[in-house]
Amino acid sequence: MEILNQISEYLQQGDDDKVFALTKEAIEQDLNPKVILDNSLIAGMNIIGEKFKKHEIFLPDVLMSAKAMYAGLDQLKPLLASKGISGLGKVVIGTVQGDLHDIGKNLVGIMLKGAGFDVIDLGKDVPPEKFVETAKRENAKLIGMSALLTTTMTNMKKVVDLVRKDNSDIKVIIGGAPVSKEFADEIGADAYAYDAGNAVECVKELI
Amino acid sequence: MSHIIRFKIKDIQPEKEVVFKEFGIPKIDLVSEKIQQLYSEAIKVFRETSKPIVIYSEISKEKFQNIFKGEGNNSAETPVDKIFPKADNLILFALTMGKEVSEKIEILFKENDFALGSMLDNIASLSADNAVKKMEELAAKDTKNHEENYLILAYSPGYCGWDISGQKKLFEYLHPEKIGITLNDSFLMIPLKSVSGVLISRKSEIHKFENNFSFCSLCKTKSCLERM
Ligand code: B12
Ligand code: SF4
Repeated sequence: MEILNQISEYLQQGDDDKVFALTKEAIEQDLNPKVILDNSLIAGMNIIGEKFKKHEIFLPDVLMSAKAMYAGLDQLKPLLASKGISGLGKVVIGTVQGDLHDIGKNLVGIMLKGAGFDVIDLGKDVPPEKFVETAKRENAKLIGMSALLTTTMTNMKKVVDLVRKDNSDIKVIIGGAPVSKEFADEIGADAYAYDAGNAVECVKELI
Repeated sequence: MSHIIRFKIKDIQPEKEVVFKEFGIPKIDLVSEKIQQLYSEAIKVFRETSKPIVIYSEISKEKFQNIFKGEGNNSAETPVDKIFPKADNLILFALTMGKEVSEKIEILFKENDFALGSMLDNIASLSADNAVKKMEELAAKDTKNHEENYLILAYSPGYCGWDISGQKKLFEYLHPEKIGITLNDSFLMIPLKSVSGVLISRKSEIHKFENNFSFCSLCKTKSCLERM
């Protein structure tokens, strides 16, 4: 459908005004919101993700496209919710207690939303209990945690322990500069990702 | 006695090339007109919202020894341990870009303006680093000793075996609250775009060391190599 391709095109160009206007038009034409989401917004973001991976475009390009994606997504959300349609699954993300560094976590959140996940971002300085309580309440399938300090990365284990204590099937993925695959194994997390693109791949594998 | 000075923004604003490199962009002419515009917009916002300021104070080796010991969490051997006893002069400092720029970054992200937000974030982080370099230059001008291979370098808690909990004693001595910087429970400074440390001045040889400490195996930056 022409309009869906156009939305995807403008999204890839990072033109949020055009994406906003055309998404509105598509909704007015009574197109299925799930089709608009999958075939224009997520399809466009997937192309952007691929181009970024191949170094054909740069991070600011990806971020401008992400803004454009939200210009469409924010209009679709209430429609999707009213039809009881959810995305690929809910994930809860945040920067661990004591830590204020959130740029890396924000990038991960943007890319996960772009890939079609429902992201609940708890922000920074998030207590361990809050991660777990929110994930349970929201029926989230995964918790993603970020830490940039060696002193705060230990808080990740507390969250893993709380999840395991309940025998819950919530998956845990971690990231941030001082964190590694070895550390993830050591604390019993399900995965570690080194950047936002890798985070999307890992989360897709996990849930 | 401590001193407080404000930096001129033009003295610490990073070069365009450097900002782009931080985004993994090797050459300015590789980017679209849109990204160029984004950069100009971010610089404009940066100039409007950042209020770079530093508090610093000379400190004796005896007093510094105690601050460096901190809460007793440092690695057994560190570069600073080896270097500072040979120094001519030690200056403690804490600097910040101010709270407005950090708040602006957060607002931009909330408004989904991720590209501008992260451009501004990069500029502010790089400026904080440049402000440290500016401090090194200022301290160099002040020293009476103008020997050719004289070098003044900053070392910070959280780097190279100096545990981040060292911030506590540094703050008790310097009182960066006077310029609006506070510490949280995990010894991070608020506002986020802040840097603390000690400037160590002496002949360049003293800053040279073998980077084979126990903690070096985990280090991804190897930033000591650039500085030595
Ligand atoms: C830029 C920077 C700064 C900037 C500001 C940082 C900011 N975010 O605003 C400035 C210059 C102000 C600064 C100051 C300080 N810094 Co600093 N800083 C850095 C640096 C170089 C980059 C951090 C960054 O923003 N990276 C960019 C983002 C995009 O990358 P990222 O966070 O790693 O995220 C990616 C991945 O990790 C992953 N990821 C991240 N989170 C998650 C989550 C999930 C779920 C997944 C799957 C993936 C994932 O995907 C992300 C996107 O690709 C790091 C070193 C480093 N290599 O990381 C040190 C670093 C964080 N800083 C450090 C220190 C010590 C400090 C200071 C305390 C120094 C001092 N005494 O002044 C101060 C503290 C400031 C404060 N407020 O207290 C240390 C911390 C060490 C430690 N012991 O824990 C580091 C690690 C440097 C080092 N020693 O090697 N810093
Ligand atoms: S290798 Fe890294 S940790 Fe070791 S001294 Fe150099 S900068 Fe510090």
